[in-house]
Amino acid sequence: MKSFNRRKLISASAILAVTALTATAVPANAFSPKSEVGVSQTEIKLGITLPMTGAASPGYNKVPAAMKAYFDYVNANGGVNGRKVTLVVKDDQYVPTQAVAKTNELILKDRVLALVAPLGTANNKAVAASVNPGKRGVPVLFVNTGFSGFADQKKFPTTYAILPSYVMEAKIMAEYIKDNFAGKTIGLVYQDDDFGTDALSGFKSAGVKFAATVGYASGSQSATTAAGWVTKLKAANCDVVILFGVSSATAAGLGTAAALKYAPQWILGSVGGDATTIKASGVPAGVLYNAVGASFLPATTDTSDEYVSLFQSIYSKAVPGSAFDNNVLVGMNSAFVTVQALKAAGANPTRASLLAAIDSKGSTFASAALLPLNYSKTSHVGYNGYWFGKYSPTGDLKPDGGKYTLYTTDSGSGAVVKSTWKRPAMPAKGLPN
Amino acid sequence: MHKLSNKVRILIFIVIGFAIYLLSNNVDELRVYQGAQVAVYVVGIASIILLTGYSGQVSLGQGALLGVGGYAAALSQLKWHLPIPATFAIAILAAAGAGALLGIAAARLSGPYLAGATLALAVGLPSIANQFTVLGGEQGLFFDVGFPPSSLGADFTQYKWFFWIASLATLLAIFWLQNVMRSRYGRTWKAIRGSEVAAELAGVNVARAKILAFTLSAGVAGLAGALLAMTIGTVSPSAFPLALSFSLLTGAVLAGVTTLGGVIIGAVTLVAIPEIVGSIVNRAGASEAIASNLPHIVVGALLILTVVFVPNGPVEQMRSRRLKNGTSL
Repeated sequence: MKSFNRRKLISASAILAVTALTATAVPANAFSPKSEVGVSQTEIKLGITLPMTGAASPGYNKVPAAMKAYFDYVNANGGVNGRKVTLVVKDDQYVPTQAVAKTNELILKDRVLALVAPLGTANNKAVAASVNPGKRGVPVLFVNTGFSGFADQKKFPTTYAILPSYVMEAKIMAEYIKDNFAGKTIGLVYQDDDFGTDALSGFKSAGVKFAATVGYASGSQSATTAAGWVTKLKAANCDVVILFGVSSATAAGLGTAAALKYAPQWILGSVGGDATTIKASGVPAGVLYNAVGASFLPATTDTSDEYVSLFQSIYSKAVPGSAFDNNVLVGMNSAFVTVQALKAAGANPTRASLLAAIDSKGSTFASAALLPLNYSKTSHVGYNGYWFGKYSPTGDLKPDGGKYTLYTTDSGSGAVVKSTWKRPAMPAKGLPN
Repeated sequence: MHKLSNKVRILIFIVIGFAIYLLSNNVDELRVYQGAQVAVYVVGIASIILLTGYSGQVSLGQGALLGVGGYAAALSQLKWHLPIPATFAIAILAAAGAGALLGIAAARLSGPYLAGATLALAVGLPSIANQFTVLGGEQGLFFDVGFPPSSLGADFTQYKWFFWIASLATLLAIFWLQNVMRSRYGRTWKAIRGSEVAAELAGVNVARAKILAFTLSAGVAGLAGALLAMTIGTVSPSAFPLALSFSLLTGAVLAGVTTLGGVIIGAVTLVAIPEIVGSIVNRAGASEAIASNLPHIVVGALLILTVVFVPNGPVEQMRSRRLKNGTSL
């Protein structure tokens, strides 16, 4: 009699497996496949993965609300060809395996039209390898990482870079150091993954010699580990230190150095240089004072800039009480460019028409940046330069000499030159046609 | 207990395999992807059942052994460009080797000491990857089993391919595990779990049997690790967190740690929890911090509730109740 038990168990578990999976499958199948995935009569659905919690989240977790603020502004003004733009947000905690799982959810479960502004070099690489949006034809718009490799159309056919690459940033930074800190002893703190090594290769091609380099493992940044960085930089007598990491690592480096009475000339990479985030981590504004920073967007306090003043008023209404900082500006600008891409994709956008629209019209898209977008059939490079400035006593980044001097270069061996590009006027009310 | 003949067992496995095949053709891609995850968990949980349920040893660090398997598979592909089945074999062997070493230490430990030692392994082992550049640091290594063969058609998705590979590997692993558990070794382990002293008096070499259990269990865990690496495309320290070890343990407790029969229950539950919790959180409009952490809390709570109310797992519970009532067929 017991022998039947074993058999029953095995078959019962098989039946259970089958029913469990098919039962849960029904709602997903109920989706009408008539129109393009993520596009209905009334809605265009986009998705984003980024760290909303965890060590790397400070600052970047403001990006989705900033993007939604602009999308809602567009939605309130007629939407994109009558459709509302919605954004599904998934927290990947800056962990590549989480990014893979969450991106799968966005594509397979939430069925978004496109991924927009997914954050992180390692995360986007893992997603490209495993989820493979390129092979699926899923657009990966305006990745929030400056890894130069994402502009490689062979490897990442549906991915568009938007930030200037880390190689460009390092090359331009090297030029700035040559002009302003010649003969000084230079130190570098970088994230020990593709984000940091991309910058390293830029510094190397520009011929920068470092007295000390400190690589930190992503996620390891803390006051304790930063004390180790400071010891190493101090021992090498570095007068100038470049912090090329995420915001939390930059804040840890600045705060710990201040506590240990180490005050070199700081140069902050654009990724981690957001003043609000650094100050929110407990670093006094005075520590930031006179540090060098870089941006490709206008300064967030520059209310004479038409984009900054419009975005500021939209954001303060949508997210009252939240400071308007560089992460917010980057997010809203990406949303602004996304809306133009969606509009350019035609009355009934598809994944294919969206990609084609950026290739053919992307270089004409308006944006807040002080540099052009370099999209074409053969280029998925976004912006290509930076201006430099210093942080004020209150911790606001202001351009040197009160004027934006823009430098531009490429991710290869091209020279660093001054940009002569002039930004066209903003579309009326910040609503592109 | 009477046993089914091998012929009948093989037939049952073929039927299950056919059911999985039919299933894979009739659900959408998300379910297929989750099916592959279920298969990974089935193998992972089975490795704990072999170790804990049969030989009576506790491992809180099974996730680390999955990590050994995953890294071995990725490295052997990266360095030696081995074909995929060979990388899986390497994963099994490497993890089994690690398990043998662990087993030697474990044979001298028991109860909470063994739990502590394996827990330390789960905490410490993944961060080794940050010390050696060959292991790719926090970013890890890619593991790519490649696209499905074109003969399967253009519509055949990558995840369906993962699901097929994972299901086949799982069926083979479970079949093999059943064989082992029904063998002399299985009986020996059960004797040890019952009473070490009695087993020793009966002439069983307890230490050797325990080490063997650890070795085989680790090999199975290594296979699970390689399958996991396949489904996420990478291996990295973050792919094998402490939470993985605890999830597998919860799955094993849910499955009923003394029998392979409920293993699918544990695996399906582990895959279903984040999805169910996620949709509840979405509907409630809770914050990201809650959405990210609630699934872990639910897994933990489930572990505690199961231990309190159905310590032997639901399957074992049903069986013993039916036996008690005398209504068994």
